[in-house]
Amino acid sequence: MVEGKRKSGSKRKIKVRVPSSKSVTQYKKRKPAKAKCAECSADLKGVARVRATKLKKMPKSAKRPSRPFGGQLCSKCTRKEIVRRSK
Amino acid sequence: MNVGRLCVKIAGRDAGKKCVIVEVLEGSFVTIDGETRRRKCNIRHLEPLKEEIKVGKGSHEEVVKAFKDLGIEIKEKKSKPKTEKPKKQRKIKVKAAAEPKAVKKTEKKDTAKAAEKKSEAKKETPKAAEKKEEKPAAEKNEVKAEKKAEAKKPAAKAAKK
Repeated sequence: MVEGKRKSGSKRKIKVRVPSSKSVTQYKKRKPAKAKCAECSADLKGVARVRATKLKKMPKSAKRPSRPFGGQLCSKCTRKEIVRRSK
Repeated sequence: MNVGRLCVKIAGRDAGKKCVIVEVLEGSFVTIDGETRRRKCNIRHLEPLKEEIKVGKGSHEEVVKAFKDLGIEIKEKKSKPKTEKPKKQRKIKVKAAAEPKAVKKTEKKDTAKAAEKKSEAKKETPKAAEKKEEKPAAEKNEVKAEKKAEAKKPAAKAAKK
């Protein structure tokens, strides 16, 4: 019988084969939501989608694109913003 | 898009930086220089501005001067001299159990050496061996006699007093 705290479905279930040849379900935390563009709310590419503990161990260049507004705006909105500011 | 046109880069890590077209290449490519690195670039990644500068296919320093006249200062990156990384040395742990083993090995070596010496001593003629033994014994006797004399002297001095 599943424990009461694990019935909610807020955690993802992974089936793992244990060394004693049994298949066991492990309960792990879900991935955070995809990063969105602040202007057009499109999914951002090149932004790491991991928990904070893993994010801490990653290099800065692997977390977000290394351009102005990287990780905040999508590439299209970045271009628009730069053009708007230059004129 | 002609040579000398001032532009803003809108893509890549140099996005938002101003640059000048230095050379027009084949297709949609140009060579740019200025706040950005001197590099090949697609026209699609550039936003042209109104200003134009008189710049040829010269060196980077000429472009820097032209930018200064416009009021744009270009910060030069100073590359640091390469230095070797300090090598980490492993700490060697000295185990307490390891010492007796080392002692045993040395003991074995000592015993082996002693056996060899013994064999060599046997090989030598018995007369030579006797002579060797006699000499130190005579010396020892002399030393003992001297010590006794020294011991007696202070005793005699004390008696005189």
